[in-house]
Amino acid sequence: MNKSHWKWIVLILSILLPRYAYTQSKYTIDGTVKDIANGETLIGVNVYVPETGQGTVTNAYGFYSITLPEGTYSLEFTFIGYDKVVHPITLIKNTKLPVDLQEQSSQLQEITVVGENEGRSLNIKSVEMSTNKLDIKTIQKLPALLGETDIVKSLQFLPGVSQVGEGSSGFNVRGGSTGQNLVLLDEAPVYNSSHMLGFFSVFNPDAVKDVKLYKGAIPAMYGGRTSGVLDVRMKDGNSKDVEVNGGIGLIFSRLSVEGPLIPEKSSFIVAARRSYIDVLASPFLDGDFGLNFYDLTAKANYTFNQKNRLYISGYLGRDNFSLSDDAVFNWGNKTATIRWNSIIASKLFANFSGIYSQYDYKLGFDEDENNSYDWNSAVTNYVFKPDFSYYISDKSELNFGAELTYYRFNPSRTKGVTNGEAVDNSLEYKYALESSAYVSHKLTLSSRAEVQYGLRVSNFRYLGAGTAYTYNDTIPGKRRSVLSETYYRSGETIASYTTPEPRASFKYELDANSSVKASYTRTSQYVHYISNTTASNPLNVWTPSTNNLKPTVSNQFTAGYFRTFEGKSQYEASAEVYYRQSNNEVDYINGADLLSNRYLEGDLLNGKGRAYGLELYIQKKTGRLTGWVSYTLSRSELKVTGINRGKWYPTRYDQTHNLKVIGMVEINKRWSATADFVFTTGTPTTYPDQRYTSQGLLIPYNSTSSRNDQRISNYHRLDVSIRMEGRTHRRSGKERKNHDYWVFSVYNIYARKNAFSTYFSQSDDRAVVGQPIQAEAHKVSIIGTMVPSVSYNFKF
Amino acid sequence: MIAAVLLVACDDIIEVDTGTSEPVLNIDAWVNDKEETQVITLTFTQDYFDNTSPVPGVRGASVTLTDDQGGVYIFQEDTASDDGSYRWRPDPGMSLGRTGTSYTLTVEYNGETFVASSKMGRVPAVDSITFSKQDDMGPRSNEDFYQAEFWAKDIAGTGDTYWIRTYKNGSLLNKASEINIAYDAAQSAGSEFDGVTFITPIRKGINANDEDEEGEPVSSLDPGDSVYVEIHSITLASFNYLNEVIDQTDRNGGLSELFTSTPLTNVSTNMVNLNANGSPVVGFFNVASVSGLGRKFR
Repeated sequence: MNKSHWKWIVLILSILLPRYAYTQSKYTIDGTVKDIANGETLIGVNVYVPETGQGTVTNAYGFYSITLPEGTYSLEFTFIGYDKVVHPITLIKNTKLPVDLQEQSSQLQEITVVGENEGRSLNIKSVEMSTNKLDIKTIQKLPALLGETDIVKSLQFLPGVSQVGEGSSGFNVRGGSTGQNLVLLDEAPVYNSSHMLGFFSVFNPDAVKDVKLYKGAIPAMYGGRTSGVLDVRMKDGNSKDVEVNGGIGLIFSRLSVEGPLIPEKSSFIVAARRSYIDVLASPFLDGDFGLNFYDLTAKANYTFNQKNRLYISGYLGRDNFSLSDDAVFNWGNKTATIRWNSIIASKLFANFSGIYSQYDYKLGFDEDENNSYDWNSAVTNYVFKPDFSYYISDKSELNFGAELTYYRFNPSRTKGVTNGEAVDNSLEYKYALESSAYVSHKLTLSSRAEVQYGLRVSNFRYLGAGTAYTYNDTIPGKRRSVLSETYYRSGETIASYTTPEPRASFKYELDANSSVKASYTRTSQYVHYISNTTASNPLNVWTPSTNNLKPTVSNQFTAGYFRTFEGKSQYEASAEVYYRQSNNEVDYINGADLLSNRYLEGDLLNGKGRAYGLELYIQKKTGRLTGWVSYTLSRSELKVTGINRGKWYPTRYDQTHNLKVIGMVEINKRWSATADFVFTTGTPTTYPDQRYTSQGLLIPYNSTSSRNDQRISNYHRLDVSIRMEGRTHRRSGKERKNHDYWVFSVYNIYARKNAFSTYFSQSDDRAVVGQPIQAEAHKVSIIGTMVPSVSYNFKF
Repeated sequence: MIAAVLLVACDDIIEVDTGTSEPVLNIDAWVNDKEETQVITLTFTQDYFDNTSPVPGVRGASVTLTDDQGGVYIFQEDTASDDGSYRWRPDPGMSLGRTGTSYTLTVEYNGETFVASSKMGRVPAVDSITFSKQDDMGPRSNEDFYQAEFWAKDIAGTGDTYWIRTYKNGSLLNKASEINIAYDAAQSAGSEFDGVTFITPIRKGINANDEDEEGEPVSSLDPGDSVYVEIHSITLASFNYLNEVIDQTDRNGGLSELFTSTPLTNVSTNMVNLNANGSPVVGFFNVASVSGLGRKFR
């Protein structure tokens, strides 16, 4: 930790804090905002005080607190898709003000995706930038592959988010790799967010309350990854009535049950999904090949009193890939979160989280008792995270806390038996401790200007017991070999890194309808995702920073212009630019051996990254037709000694142009339709320009040793979905208790064969001696056709 | 399932213009201790999609092999075939190479000198070959599938690397998917199988990967076929090289692209131009000792 950073913080705090020390006759209003129908706490509700022109938003637990001088106010509570509530209040003492909001009831309005009838837009008012909040109702409207609503796939429709191709897992944010995103499910890090390779994600939409993506201007409370943060919060469970949701689709079925356990005190939700038999089954491969998954998401909460509430949530999911009778291949995540909310004082909200998360896979071949191979690998972590919000006044909020993460990496446990002889070649576990502390202060400087600044300091220790290796230097791009090794006892520090991570954002409102914002974020990442293929796959491993592998540190600068257009319809628009620079990016030598390799670090290369872009976004928020247009112009590059002659080259997920158009139209009370169009520049690839034979094999040769200087063909597709609401009344005229709807959709309606990759090989025919070998170029399309689907969804 | 049919990845052959560039010298020098004529082939690289021209041979090069025992083996250009072959024929009953000996290859061409070295490693004997019926080919095939398996034990002591080369009915199996290499008794150094019987994927990696016209796999063996298995000792550099070759050439396409699509890069070479700023060179040099065993499937 650099001393000058501390001086800086202390100086700023000493200037700012005393302004609020002499508060005279100020009182605090605090409370929790809930949905009146099901008791769910609402995240991000806008609490506005027209008399002062200031306000706040509810936190991740629906809590808000605002401190104002004695007086009479009319607090406004506004939230997407809910009726506005105005609470007149005469403030003469500290006041508890719990608020219930009513969902906009009319079918037509409900579908109006972001019908915020708020007089002011958070987009303009908030200091927050480079974030996208996807409403679960919007997500459900988007046409999805095989009709299955998917949270990660929906992110693809946002500016600054891209994906290598269909079927690849994860997502890329502003030129970062998939392994550089922090994916949180009720605060638990999820190490592999995909089901069925990359076709679906692990989040069950029936159990999800809120999805927020941070692409830049990342708040100080988040750390540990250098690209985006996807914060997924689960529902608490209906505390008023028992509710059952479900759906039947072509790939899997979903069912969730939620309801009160103890009235007014406790509620729960349990949600499950199970795919049908082996969906990607045999048409193109022989044998018992198939792929299936299941997952279970559950949560319960208990309210001790007005000030204390406990939440327990968990996720368990597993994918099975059957290859043959005697082979086993499965993988999955497990997470558990225990949280305790405490309103220590009306101005001070605290949350303590204890988190467990594990990702593991198992691979085995069992020919007979004398010949078998079993292999498993895992990353496990335990997190403790106290977080405090101190609502100093309506102009000032302080957020501070800490995060401790203990990691255990199991690179591979393997046991092989060959011809009756057993060999155990398991690698050592690796251990690490990541500790961080952060403070962030949000301050309204004037009616137009707001600043949020903070600091996160993170420390990472790579711990024993374990063996640390030192490697020789060699020609860049070649495998390094071990010079010496040292054994460390349990708990001994092998390597330690500390990174100060300043964060700052600034907003200035130009007028009632527009504002400019800017931010700076430094982030560090101590655990690295090791994947050398175009798409990541379930066998990819996570590995800690060590004495050899340095943490990745990234700096991102953003600036943006935000505007709303009021009129007959409400529009919201933004333009943002970003520049991201990073050090110690990981790349790989040719022929790198990434699995079950004791000397993995000898196969890793270290480089620099940079990414920059422009994101334009306009959304029509009200009316019969809603939707948005998102366009991103960007570049994402790496510079690694030993690759591309040491020059900058585009990453595999670099997309110059990325355009998405989404339109949703209400036809009538029963029918609605959504269409989306996606265009992206083809991702980079490398071509050979020469060939030669080595022992009869055709070898591709790139005479300039370049990397990613070509592009696969452009990607575009159009999807359409139509939703039909079930009847709301019986024939007898009585209202139906249950609600149901059908979704008919067509993915890739004009059946474009979008390229996933282009590869070069010799013809599969057996080469004839003396005849020239035939070279071929192949284009692979993962989904090379239009995919119609239908799903039935119900709620009662 | 309807869905199953819909999610089929497609893999199409496309036309790509990869341009043209200057040819580069390619030295394909894999020699061994078998009592037969040893061949080193010198050719030039061609444009990637030149699928019709014969491979241009290099004329007038001097190709010399020396060992650390003072032995000199001069490879003579085969001017008759004019395909870039340079040959050395052992005297009857003699062969090139002794385990543990280091060899240096020197190629002089066009005023430039290219060198590489290789130490001949040891090989275990092939103990036996067995045949079995394959029962995991799934319900789609009605025919009987047979496969061969060889049995041999890695020599104790870590770091032995081998290339198992198989001849079916006298023809070498040399598809990219048929490259069968071993680090001790398993497929990578990390596996640490030392001094034991080769693991199953290696023992069974001697089978031909062939398909019928519809792209369905066919039995690797039919009654009457013969199988001859050779274990070649290779250097660690050669082992790494062949791993790179597998990465770059063994592409299954389709959905497997989600798993195996490593970036296209140039495989390594152990040939060095003594003039660091001279012409580039590709290819590999290895001196192998060889053990072998054959059997006919009835």
